[in-house]
Amino acid sequence: MTEFNVRSDAVDVEQIMRQVRARIREKRGVDYTEDEIRQLASVKLEKFLDPSGVRSDLIEQFRRRQPETEPPLNYTFEDDTIYTTHRGLLRWFRRLLNPVLKLLFNPNPISHVLHLQSQINDRFYTRNQKREQLDPLYFEVMHNLVLEMTKLGIEVKNLKMRVESLSSRLDFDERRARTLEDVVQYRPGTAATPVAGGEAPGNSEEGTGNERRRRRRRRRRRGGRGSGESGGGSVDAAGGDQEAPSRGGEGAASPAGDAPPDPADDGDAEDQ
Amino acid sequence: MKLGVVVQRYGADINGGAELHARYITEHLARHHEVEVLTTCARDYVTWRNELPPGIETVGQIPVRRFPVRRARDPERFGRRSRHVFERPHSVTDELAWLDSEGPSSPALIRHLRRRKAQYDYLIFFSYRYPHAYHGVRAASRQALLVPTAERDPAVGVSLFGPIFRGVRAIMYNSPEERALINAAADNASVPSVVVGVGSEVPARPEPMRFRRTFGVEGPFAVYVGRIDENKGCRELFGHFARYAAAFPRGLQLVLIGGATMPVPDHPRIRHLGFVSDQEKFDAIAAADLLIMPSFFESLSMVVLEAWALGRPVLVNGRCDVLKGQCLRSGAGLYYETFEEFVETLYALEASGPLNGPFGRNGRAYFARHYAWPVIERKYLDMLDRLAREDAAGAAPARLEPVPGWLARRRRSLPPAREVVDALPAGPVLEGAAPSATPPGAGPAGPAPSRPAPSGGPGDPRPGPRSGPPRRGRDSRHGRRARPRPS
Repeated sequence: MTEFNVRSDAVDVEQIMRQVRARIREKRGVDYTEDEIRQLASVKLEKFLDPSGVRSDLIEQFRRRQPETEPPLNYTFEDDTIYTTHRGLLRWFRRLLNPVLKLLFNPNPISHVLHLQSQINDRFYTRNQKREQLDPLYFEVMHNLVLEMTKLGIEVKNLKMRVESLSSRLDFDERRARTLEDVVQYRPGTAATPVAGGEAPGNSEEGTGNERRRRRRRRRRRGGRGSGESGGGSVDAAGGDQEAPSRGGEGAASPAGDAPPDPADDGDAEDQ
Repeated sequence: MKLGVVVQRYGADINGGAELHARYITEHLARHHEVEVLTTCARDYVTWRNELPPGIETVGQIPVRRFPVRRARDPERFGRRSRHVFERPHSVTDELAWLDSEGPSSPALIRHLRRRKAQYDYLIFFSYRYPHAYHGVRAASRQALLVPTAERDPAVGVSLFGPIFRGVRAIMYNSPEERALINAAADNASVPSVVVGVGSEVPARPEPMRFRRTFGVEGPFAVYVGRIDENKGCRELFGHFARYAAAFPRGLQLVLIGGATMPVPDHPRIRHLGFVSDQEKFDAIAAADLLIMPSFFESLSMVVLEAWALGRPVLVNGRCDVLKGQCLRSGAGLYYETFEEFVETLYALEASGPLNGPFGRNGRAYFARHYAWPVIERKYLDMLDRLAREDAAGAAPARLEPVPGWLARRRRSLPPAREVVDALPAGPVLEGAAPSATPPGAGPAGPAPSRPAPSGGPGDPRPGPRSGPPRRGRDSRHGRRARPRPS
């Protein structure tokens, strides 16, 4: 979001509005009108973001559109197929003249080739049937992919919006914090009040921290007698001594002093 | 000096914009002169039914003389005639019929003015667009001052009002934009005029916390005060705010104060409080981070002035010239014309929040400079003194143009009123910004006011150049057609 300079008494509203418009142009990239943006947005939504637009009955539709494949016309071709007839006399006469026919050309290769072709047709048909059985599976996979892609698209869009929202909230908070910091008036003397004894403020804080640390140790010892010496001792060495010097000035009203000597609470209580 | 204030409705509980304006002015002028109010028996601005008794009563120590309305308004007939006059070529007779159907028509009031006008030194007419102003000015033009309370709506383009704007003794405008609009529509720059507006009885110490406690409002919020109506731009406001709230989930709330004539959306961050007392209204404005005024048509938004008086920034609809002009001149508010601008400007005001000191200071200063009661009173008194001096000197005021003859009145040669208004220059008046700029001495008036106006003096008599081109098809920009407004 734009930073607007409204701190001076001479506020120039027109200048602020120019900044606002510049910011809007920057966001849009091109200075589209409201209607144009709506139109663009609606096109995108129609094409991409509408999950109801994905057809869940894709496989059924596919099956409906695919006509049931008829088995191809085929026939068995044997050596005597070329002489076959339902008339007995004619069949006898063809057999009788077969040697004469073979004098003119050899029909055996033709019979053989046609026989092979018949077998090839059979094999092709079987393979085609197997492929057709696989097609619905392919389409199902494709359908699922489309569905998942659409879901992912929506999720990406949602995440984008969330990121944008988070960034704007962060921006808002930062800005409000900055504004608050600007108006806070520090009273002269509060920060640099000399401490009795001529100590620097840092030393005095350290001193206060040391006192507090000592008080805390005393309380822990008193509490430790009830719960066991080893526990209390380890706290002093590990947790308390590491944390206390840096936070000595902040913990004056900390509930840690009144809390039982629980090692786990030590650091957390000071944070409060 | 005896003054008569002529207004369509009057009463302590009548809070319409022009009516409240009239009441405030009356009460303040009564401290200096003898004032009598002449009004109708109507209470409802839609029907104009006679609800109050005719005769004289006293409202806040001011004598009020009420006259009965001839007949209640027939909304269907008024709508039909409005469409005819606003959208089609028409005649003067059509316009007179439209004016009569608009109401409140009170022949008794006009008769009283005609017969008893000598009893009054001056008559101050409020709201140019109603029959009491048109016929009243015609009955007593030599004493007539007009407070037009005009907005940029098609009624300004009705030809009947041109002679009225040119024929009164003086005009008290609400804003430089209103003056520029009427000057352009009626060519009446020579009529003595002053941009005055109206003040408000803003309490010295409003109590924001009392409002928060009473209504349980927590956190930052923007407030809208007024009728919740489509004509006031509330539909657009709700749409914009819902989208804004989605983008900024932890942002401010929208608190609505006033009666609703349209459904208020059920949204977790929109709260409708309904009618509240004046004290609660001021507490609410003081508690708010900012005030939003989404109206497309305003002659002067009193609630915006009240927000400024309380040091609150405002966010207004930039398509209303008056509101935009006020923001530009005061430096105490921002304006929007599109959703993106709404988001950016509201965010800018929200992020600065109650710490938005410069806007608040500018608003307070602007209100004190132009709309504090001593300033308003002074302007009225100066104008009355000026007219009295002219009368004493025997200066002849401009004559009111007569109504066209029988045949001319029936000639359908007048253009649609909407076309007339669309062709007028639009945009805020950026130069000559002082709202107290006083009129040219070139008119029949002659001498200048006895005292210079507190904030600008008699300089810049004419409206400054408009920033925008002539605005055509304004309503298409708004995506809706303006309906004839009842009041």
